[in-house]
Amino acid sequence: MSLIKKNEPEVQKMNRQEVTPVSRVDETDDAFTLTLELPGVTEKDIDLSLEERTLSVTAENTVETFKDYTLVLSEIPEMRYRAAFELPERVDTAGIKAAHKNGLLILTLPKREEVKPRRIAITAG
Amino acid sequence: MRAYLNTINNPWRVFDELVSEFPYDLFNNAWRTRTGYSPRVNVWESDKGVAVEAEVAGIDPDKLEVAVDANVLTLKGEKERADGSRNEFQRSFNLPFELDNEGIKATVKNGMLTVLIPRKAAAEKRKIAIEKL
Repeated sequence: MSLIKKNEPEVQKMNRQEVTPVSRVDETDDAFTLTLELPGVTEKDIDLSLEERTLSVTAENTVETFKDYTLVLSEIPEMRYRAAFELPERVDTAGIKAAHKNGLLILTLPKREEVKPRRIAITAG
Repeated sequence: MRAYLNTINNPWRVFDELVSEFPYDLFNNAWRTRTGYSPRVNVWESDKGVAVEAEVAGIDPDKLEVAVDANVLTLKGEKERADGSRNEFQRSFNLPFELDNEGIKATVKNGMLTVLIPRKAAAEKRKIAIEKL
């Protein structure tokens, strides 16, 4: 696509500031939980993809405008959140689940059966 | 830590923040208090009142507090950090007009807090009769 042919909204899309979202990883016996902070992002503006073992997240926020109001203090720009995670072999990629709640994208990355901690019974000899 | 990371991503951020704050502080007499982490905001003004948007992703809406005292708007809240510790924050904005604390409307959606506060209706001008003695 030639640059000249791009219309105004497309150009604005290109000019978005790119940022890495604040994220954290928690671990339980069964799974890892990856939480990303995506304030102002609606579900349809989140793009989540998995290629080999690379999990990529791209998201765009919507900055509200108020008609007949003047913006007097502006700290929230239009942004594109981008992050990629290399998943370890221990993660069962087929079982990945994603949830969107209160501006957070919560990904559940289940562990493969064989790496889950298990108790080994001792039989009396 | 977050501010530090954002500075790495965008070294001009500190400068941008200074520039964006400057005229507002100077002409509209806005002041803020910051205690460590505090959410970023957009503030809109009109003759109807003020509209504030704040990034509150991951903050329990029950732990958010919006208060108005004359012309000062205060946002308070508590955020749980990655290590499980709690981080309280408070931000205040001094607005150039009085606010009507009866008409506040606050909503949270997709991790964004939207607060709409109407201007307080100006007290009617009263003409004081001067008694001739």
